[in-house]
Amino acid sequence: MTIRDRLRGDPQILAMGGGGFTMEPDNPALDDYVLSLVKVPEPRILFLPTASGDPTAQITGFYARFARRASASHLSLFRRHGSARSLADIVLEQDAIYVGGGSMRNLLAIWRAHELDALLQEAWRRGIVLAGLSAGAMCWFAGGVTRSGGPLETIEGLGLLPGSFSVHADGEPERLPVWLAAVRGGELPGGWAADDGVGLLFRGTRMVRVVSSRPGTAALRVDAVGDELVRHRIEPELLGTAPTLGERPVPDEIRELRELRQAMRRG
Amino acid sequence: MTTGRPPQIVAFGGGGFSMEAGNPLLDDYVLALAARERPRVCFVPTASGDADHYVVRFYRTFSTRCDTSHVSLFRRDRGDGAVEGDLEAHLLAQDVIYVGGGSVVSLLGAWRAHGLDRVLRAAWRRGVILCGLSAGSLCWFQEAVTAFHGAPTVVRGLGLLPHSNCVHYDGEPERREEYRRFVGDGVTPGYAADDGAALHFVGRELRRVVSSRPRARAFRVEPRDGEVVEQPLAVSYLGDPRLDLAVA
Repeated sequence: MTIRDRLRGDPQILAMGGGGFTMEPDNPALDDYVLSLVKVPEPRILFLPTASGDPTAQITGFYARFARRASASHLSLFRRHGSARSLADIVLEQDAIYVGGGSMRNLLAIWRAHELDALLQEAWRRGIVLAGLSAGAMCWFAGGVTRSGGPLETIEGLGLLPGSFSVHADGEPERLPVWLAAVRGGELPGGWAADDGVGLLFRGTRMVRVVSSRPGTAALRVDAVGDELVRHRIEPELLGTAPTLGERPVPDEIRELRELRQAMRRG
Repeated sequence: MTTGRPPQIVAFGGGGFSMEAGNPLLDDYVLALAARERPRVCFVPTASGDADHYVVRFYRTFSTRCDTSHVSLFRRDRGDGAVEGDLEAHLLAQDVIYVGGGSVVSLLGAWRAHGLDRVLRAAWRRGVILCGLSAGSLCWFQEAVTAFHGAPTVVRGLGLLPHSNCVHYDGEPERREEYRRFVGDGVTPGYAADDGAALHFVGRELRRVVSSRPRARAFRVEPRDGEVVEQPLAVSYLGDPRLDLAVA
């Protein structure tokens, strides 16, 4: 066990209904919150853009947001990463793993084909923070609602977290009724829905905090009791928009150290 | 509905519009197999994650002389011109299905999740010509050597062709060594192709090898008397004006 492993805490997942650098390029609140969950100095964060097929725009957006805030890298499962290192080495040395949105069905199928699903579970167990939005948030739960095949339909997730998760509750309002019907009909277990900008923090498998990058947003807890749905609205804590850690200039020697480390890891 | 054609696969070791700008020989060879004035050609760029630039290059290359379309498994909800609705009916109605390069592991994972493996098998049986380069070649075989992420490994393909396959054979020396070692260790015997060489199978049998480059090679790789033998195959260079494929 490395010192890094010892510094890690309980398993944590931040599941975002939407938001972060791909959806809020001018609002770093949720992404800063992801980094604040990491207790290791000089955090390493890895971006997985799998659900959208590794598009360049998402990858450059990731670096624009995180390159000055952390030791940032991305893992492409479609383009060569030019390294002979195993996926296990790449994944398990991280402090946080950030999963982008897109097609949840493709995301899970491709992770499974590369056996990345088991690696991410191991990363979670070791206390590497997992974060993501949309497909990259629903994937951690028992299930969710996707439009990977065109029309909205339910889909099973990795099941690290109990319950189901529905995203973009305000941004794509046609999702919510499909999810509610699936929960009522027992097709999906009860769970949470979140607006764009809202993040649910799980410590272990327990939901401990709801935060938001935007005022006026909410999360919803829904359970099926008999034939009825019991709904419970959750007011998120609005994340501060004051200048955060990442906004401070990085001293030259720290920047150099980061670059050296990245170069060594690329090895 | 049948096409009247036997099952056919043209597996490029590398080449075609995405690797050989200005050299249409391999793509032309495939289109000629369709024997139709305006062949219906559908591009499947899954292995690249449906990369936009790749899709654009496909349309640039083929849209003037073919009825072109593409399948996106990542952007099915975006209405960006990709095939929507009944993918199966669309694919079965093609003359050619052209599979792009990228990661064969990601390709197979995504195809299986969407049931495209089954559809492509049905298309092949019906006589829709399947072709592709790199990952788009490896995918049709029983087993395939990929070095996309790290060291070369063997993956299981769709198994339409009961052989193994190794692409970009001239590109990286360690591939050649590894492929021979894998076959020695029990991987299905098969075929290796350089960039610019294409293996044309009719049914499950290799009919001929063609190339877009005069020196591109292809090999049969199989164990013989306790050794792995790399048997060079006759290659017809498509740029040779004397070439007459009817008798090749």
